[in-house]
Amino acid sequence: MISCDAFRVRFEGSTEDPAVLGHLRECDRCLDFAAQTDPDVMFRALGGGEMIPPGGVEAFVVDVMQQVRVRSAESTVTARHEVSWTRRLAIAATLAVGITGAMVYNQLWNPGPTGSQPVASITASPVRTFTTKPIVETYESDRATIVEVPSEGAADDVKIVMIFDENLPADL
Amino acid sequence: MKRILTLMMALLFVSATSFAQTQNVGKTLTAKTFVFKHKQADKAANVIKSILSAEGSMSIQPTANSLVVTDLPENLKKIAAAIATFDAPAQPLQLSIRLVSASRGTEAKVDSALRDVASKLALLRYNVLEHVGTAQATGKEGEPGQVSIAGYRADFKFGEYDPASDSVQLADFKLFRQEGDQLAPMLKTTLNLKLGQTVIVGATKQPESPRALMIVVTAQR
Repeated sequence: MISCDAFRVRFEGSTEDPAVLGHLRECDRCLDFAAQTDPDVMFRALGGGEMIPPGGVEAFVVDVMQQVRVRSAESTVTARHEVSWTRRLAIAATLAVGITGAMVYNQLWNPGPTGSQPVASITASPVRTFTTKPIVETYESDRATIVEVPSEGAADDVKIVMIFDENLPADL
Repeated sequence: MKRILTLMMALLFVSATSFAQTQNVGKTLTAKTFVFKHKQADKAANVIKSILSAEGSMSIQPTANSLVVTDLPENLKKIAAAIATFDAPAQPLQLSIRLVSASRGTEAKVDSALRDVASKLALLRYNVLEHVGTAQATGKEGEPGQVSIAGYRADFKFGEYDPASDSVQLADFKLFRQEGDQLAPMLKTTLNLKLGQTVIVGATKQPESPRALMIVVTAQR
């Protein structure tokens, strides 16, 4: 094995000298020195020269990147599910039939206030809507107060309306 | 696949067509003209406006005494029935009028002819009820009437029957009191009387007044 001084004199970056590389495997201090000059020398010292892929590192990188692009393209193609127009049309028709059917059912069996009504109600007798009118429609006096006494009984019970009029005689 | 697609399209067409037909039937409006023989068209408008649907409308033609109503077919049937009831010939009416002198006394005293209204008047603290007199009047819608009751006279006009409120109007009801050989006017009013219902119209100067004149009226067909 060569000495440390001889190593430092003979050492060059990217050296393939077996004596220099042999010293590197034995001397840690010279390995540190060599690593500062050429970091790759550590791998070469460990036999790293054999780890370089065939065709060189650049060819290896190009090959890896090509593989990456191929895989990426494959995943893109796989993600795009092709649906035929006939299937799309069938799905749309099914949805339309379902929605329309539900609307027709709703229209026929739950008619709204303005919608069509069951036939039975068309022939039904007219509903009489009663309105309430004031008992005293008009009263001729400018000094009168008219009070309709609320009825406690049924609608057909006796109704009382009092007319308080200063113009009326006192001896009624 | 083609068969399924064809079936789906056929179902879609049938469903859409039936739905469209249902919608159109529900919204179809029909116009009908009603010509009145016995009543005024403008008064009929009040009768049918509560029956008219949200889509319905009407227009009065006074010169022809008619009413053009546009509404849903089923609603027009109800309107036609209501108009037929309304446009009836003048109905005979019967009016019963009782005059009661009411006062507040220390002891209750009620004429036997007034027992049916005594409990009501007791609510107003009138416990002394004197029967002045009773009169009956008959007539038809639109006709005038007159009754005399023990020193009083009432002039009035039978108004039209209103089916919506089941009432008849007693228009221009004027009450006079005999004072010597003169008739002194006491009050003038127009009353809405529900058929068969007894109405008590009390007249006095003030709520605290010790005396009041009660006019007990009932209208019937």
